[in-house]
Amino acid sequence: MNSVRAGRRVASPARQIKTVHCLLAAALMASPLLAQSAREIVQTSQDRTRANSEHYEGVLTVIDSHGKTTTKRWIYDRIGSFGNSKAILRFTDPPEVKGVALLIINHPDRASDQWMWRPAIERDTRVALQDRSTRFFGTGFSFEDLEERDVDQFDYALLNQESMDGAPCWKIVATPKQAKSSQYTRTFLWIRKDNYVLAMMQGWSKNRMTRSIHYTNIARVQDIWTARRLEVWDAERRSTTVLTLDKLQYNTPMREQDFTVEALRRLG
Amino acid sequence: MIHLSGVGKTYEGKRKVTALEDVNLSIERGEMVSIVGPSGSGKSTLLNLIGGLDRPTAGEIRIDGEALGGLRDDQLTRVRRDKIGFIFQFFNLLPTLSCLENVAIPLHLRGWPRKKIDERARELLGLVRLEHRLTHLPEELSGGERQRVAIARALSVYPPILLADEPTGNLDTHTGAEILALIGDLHQRLGATVLIITHDRGVAESCPRTITIRDGAITADEKKLAPA
Amino acid sequence: MILLKLISWQYFRKHVVRSLLTVAGIVLGVAVFVGMHAANQSVLYAFRQTVTKIAGATQLQISAGDSGFDESVLDRVQAVPGVRVAAPAIEAVVNTGLRGQGNILILGVDMVGDRGLRDYDFENGDEDVIDDPLVFLAQPDSIIVTDTFAKRNGLTTGSKLPLTTMEGRRIFTVRGIMKPGGLASAYGGNLAVMDIYNAEKVFGRGRRFDRIDVAVKDGQRVEDVQRRIQAALGSGFTVEQPSARGEQFESVSRIYSLSANITSAFALFIGMFIIYNTFSIAVTQRRSEIGILRALGASRAQIRALFLGESLLTGIIGAALGIGFGILIARGLTGYISGYLGEVYGVAAKAEAVSTDPVLIGFALTLGIIASVVAALIPARNAAAVDPVKALQKGGHQLVSESENRRRQMLAAIAIAGALVCMMIPGPDALLFTSDALAMVAALLLTPTLSHWLSRALRPILRAARPVEGTLAADSLIQAPRRTSGTVAALMLSLALVVSLGGMARASYISIRHWLDSALNPDLFVTTSQSLTAHSFLFAPSVGEGLRQIPGIAEVQPIRNARVRVAGTPIMIVTGDVRSFEKWSRVPFAEGDPRTAYDKTAEGAGVMASENFALLHGYHLGDIVDIPSPRGNLRLPIVGIVPDYSDQQGSIIIDRSVWIRNWNDDRVNVYRIYLQRGATEDQVRSAILQKFGGQQRLFVLKNKDVRAYVLRLTDQWFGITYVQIAVAVLVAVLGIVNALTVSITDRRRELGVLQAVGGLRNQIRHTVWLEAIGIGAIGLALGIGIGAVQLWYSLEISRRDIAGIRLGYNYPIGIMAALLPVIIFAAWLSAIGPAESAVRGSLVEALEYE
Repeated sequence: MNSVRAGRRVASPARQIKTVHCLLAAALMASPLLAQSAREIVQTSQDRTRANSEHYEGVLTVIDSHGKTTTKRWIYDRIGSFGNSKAILRFTDPPEVKGVALLIINHPDRASDQWMWRPAIERDTRVALQDRSTRFFGTGFSFEDLEERDVDQFDYALLNQESMDGAPCWKIVATPKQAKSSQYTRTFLWIRKDNYVLAMMQGWSKNRMTRSIHYTNIARVQDIWTARRLEVWDAERRSTTVLTLDKLQYNTPMREQDFTVEALRRLG
Repeated sequence: MIHLSGVGKTYEGKRKVTALEDVNLSIERGEMVSIVGPSGSGKSTLLNLIGGLDRPTAGEIRIDGEALGGLRDDQLTRVRRDKIGFIFQFFNLLPTLSCLENVAIPLHLRGWPRKKIDERARELLGLVRLEHRLTHLPEELSGGERQRVAIARALSVYPPILLADEPTGNLDTHTGAEILALIGDLHQRLGATVLIITHDRGVAESCPRTITIRDGAITADEKKLAPA
Repeated sequence: MILLKLISWQYFRKHVVRSLLTVAGIVLGVAVFVGMHAANQSVLYAFRQTVTKIAGATQLQISAGDSGFDESVLDRVQAVPGVRVAAPAIEAVVNTGLRGQGNILILGVDMVGDRGLRDYDFENGDEDVIDDPLVFLAQPDSIIVTDTFAKRNGLTTGSKLPLTTMEGRRIFTVRGIMKPGGLASAYGGNLAVMDIYNAEKVFGRGRRFDRIDVAVKDGQRVEDVQRRIQAALGSGFTVEQPSARGEQFESVSRIYSLSANITSAFALFIGMFIIYNTFSIAVTQRRSEIGILRALGASRAQIRALFLGESLLTGIIGAALGIGFGILIARGLTGYISGYLGEVYGVAAKAEAVSTDPVLIGFALTLGIIASVVAALIPARNAAAVDPVKALQKGGHQLVSESENRRRQMLAAIAIAGALVCMMIPGPDALLFTSDALAMVAALLLTPTLSHWLSRALRPILRAARPVEGTLAADSLIQAPRRTSGTVAALMLSLALVVSLGGMARASYISIRHWLDSALNPDLFVTTSQSLTAHSFLFAPSVGEGLRQIPGIAEVQPIRNARVRVAGTPIMIVTGDVRSFEKWSRVPFAEGDPRTAYDKTAEGAGVMASENFALLHGYHLGDIVDIPSPRGNLRLPIVGIVPDYSDQQGSIIIDRSVWIRNWNDDRVNVYRIYLQRGATEDQVRSAILQKFGGQQRLFVLKNKDVRAYVLRLTDQWFGITYVQIAVAVLVAVLGIVNALTVSITDRRRELGVLQAVGGLRNQIRHTVWLEAIGIGAIGLALGIGIGAVQLWYSLEISRRDIAGIRLGYNYPIGIMAALLPVIIFAAWLSAIGPAESAVRGSLVEALEYE
């Protein structure tokens, strides 16, 4: 359990969804002369997303198995580099959740700290992480899907090359070095050859695919290739979650002091 | 005094048992009659019927002209307590009561005043020569003495009829003779009608009249002209 | 075995009714035992289950009495090595306001924290428990109800549920429904879950938790972690494994269990008596049979074995039936006990099924059989001693011999002496119990003698009532002491039990009333809930200020009650302004000088202890009590001992300033209000309601309401006593019926003779009736007397061991006066059957009967 916790690096959904699987992805080439290894591919994919700050307005839509749709909106700000970042996520809509904010402080050496601000009771409360398979606040994402995970916790193997949305990709399989450290027994990653952007991930538990995330609307934003639409398919609940990133901007000026619990209270 | 016509008694059970069948008998006032017969011949049944302890299944019994058949239980009891005294083979004394108290019971049941009861009970015990045993419990008495207490009890109101079921059956020969003599004496003195069941030939011979019963029917009815 | 089949079976067939009555003795004893214990166990089991369900996977629970503790403790606990998860919780009992639904327990848990400890899972499964977790957290009115509760009240996700909270009536929104099973089945579904921080706000708890649930890391010993947490937090906190929770509940149940034991012991004892009686008479009746068997070559051992075999069978059948009936009794009682505890503790742990613990059943079976066999020992010995020659002579009877009587009286004298000696020695409870037992043995030994005397005394009365039958009945009573005394003894014991139970109830009533008069004399009580015992809500101290401004109020006493573990037991700490107590209350001090006591307590240099605390835990005036507080142990001397019935485990009164300083808690449970001269309760009450009613959830109870409430609780508690009294009366009636049935069979010939020599039916009938009434009267007389003795013992035992309350000796005259006609009537009723069978049977048979 400890090792699992130490391995978690939780950031915001969007940020992490982009990065995690880059990091998970890897390539193991038969010879360094011929091509990169699977691990190197994953590493590169992750490196290419680096930015000092990030801002976007997210729209999250969950469509459950009965076709019921709920939509939430938030504003996201992040400061700091990968693995050592701080982020604040403020919900703006619907009215029931307006003003609820989440502060995430990632640490390179241990699990991230999270606080939640609830305006109705004017309190910040610490968010302790659940089991890694726990869903992120009723979305299709699990907490594990949101982690900034150490590349070295997985073994990677390059399977073949497949096209995804018309773009050629490396298909890589990642298996956890310690079986307990992931809810998935295998994770398949599709990383685009042209820009190293993760295009698709599938999490498998034994012989069943439990979750897939499809990354689309990939565009170059301030020199960083980013997917601006994520579609999660939760096979168990038969629900779909769609996250779109609007007004995405990298490297805008932000202040460290706005990413503290005090700031959460102040701004809340 | 005692009149039986066509009296029968059968016991209904898994098997129908006929104890008495078509008994016709007449006993006059002041007679002393012995009833003899082997075990199970119906002697006791006859006595119980006469004493109103049991009811016949056929025929009619008249005591002093009164038919018992038409009487309700309590009326039967009244006949019994006014006209009949019982003497049992096993005495049937109440073990927890003294001689005096045992003798007094029938008088109590009649609702006599205490004082009168006491007088009468003493008198009766005197009659059976037990004046010195008034406060003794039955178990402190000999068999003969117990039977004498039972006789005293049977005589409580000087009933006209005295029924004795094997009064000497549980006693030795000598005591038995004594008791018989006592009964004979009382018969003489009180003029009561006495019926004694016995299978002691000697007892039977001491009575002026002897009735023999066999298999539920009277097989002989002998009267002696004079007492033996 | 052959003998049993050949002889006993025939005898049984001939005496079905009597045999059944004999069995009934054991049935009753075992049934009471099983019934009361099974009910008790079921409720306890339900309670433990509930504790377990709520605790989930918790291995350790941290609490600090009723007062709760600051949230910061959570971080300290989490920092303790070996702690895997630490999850805070608060509990609140609130009124649903729904018809027939009563209270509901709201469990506040950290919904964004680690829920790995809980037995419920809001995330997994086919259907989500919580509709939208984010909305759930963002909206403080969010609540999760159980599936059962939802179905009962037609609630679905999104339904509104009004609940009464600190801020008055609030509408909650159902945003989740727990699936059945596990936690959802605790409290029969009357449970709801909220986010802990939302709950803190809604219930006005401030930033305090009631407890923290802990799971330890794999490979760590729970005991080690427990010790470490205890060391880290200090003695003001209780760190225990979940099973240890509910000790207070169990201590209540223990008292109940003890009284159940006493009742069932009595019932069984009387059952034994009935068996003894029946067997004794059977032996007398069957003397000739025994004689024949002996003549035919049966050894004494075989005869003894025959009778013991019969009693063994009786025991087995009786115990088996008793267990069956007991389970039925338990069904009825379970609801009752749950109800009572629900009243006291807010939400009832509903026992869904009666638990039939195999150990209990086995024990009851053994108890029944042993009782039966032991009761038959003496008759069996007597049977074996029968002389074959004498037995075959008809007409012989046994009487109680003078020497036997003298021997009994001697033994009784020794028993009385022993009882007195044991009573004098102030020592362990065992001696007192021994003394009690010896006293009862002496009473039993003296029963024949005493009933003989009483029969004699009764004779003129009976004779006056009915000259003929009365005399006969009286004589029968006098002359057959063995027959009479068996029944009389059974009756006497039952009545003694009734007296002692009734006397206890009466004494408690009087004490509680007295306490209500002297200590609970405020005119009004301002509380946060209608029930004085539910400590879910607390007032802020500012309410007191507001109250003082209302005209007509002379004094406002803020009272804070909290349960704190002292000397290993959770006791009640009552805090208030001691100076104000001194001024207003008229409590008679049991020990200590009131002036010094008030002075010292007010200064924080001492505490006042309740009488029951002192007695139960062995404290005396001047002894130091160790009260653990969050600031470390508070060591203070007892400066006064007062009667106080706030808590069954005892209470300690300290000054409010001491509490605030050491517990850092200035909240208030109840404000007691004394009115100024001329002000009326109603006036002030409506003024208070007007002032606070809108903003604050509060109840203003009048003195008489509180009294009624306390007395109602007491009533409910003694409801169990009344059940016991009913059992005792039932046992008494059974005893009479049994003894008379036996007696009439025994006297068939005698009654036949009576009829033969001219007894009318009614005379026989009345004789039997009068005899029964005579037995009833003698039993009553002795029971009233022995009851007086037993009551003293009961009071003494309860004083020393159970309640620690000094109860006055109050003879339950009312109950006995009510019982007098009941018993006499019962005696008469039970004589009807036997009397009829005596007059209806064949005279010829009766006369030949031997």
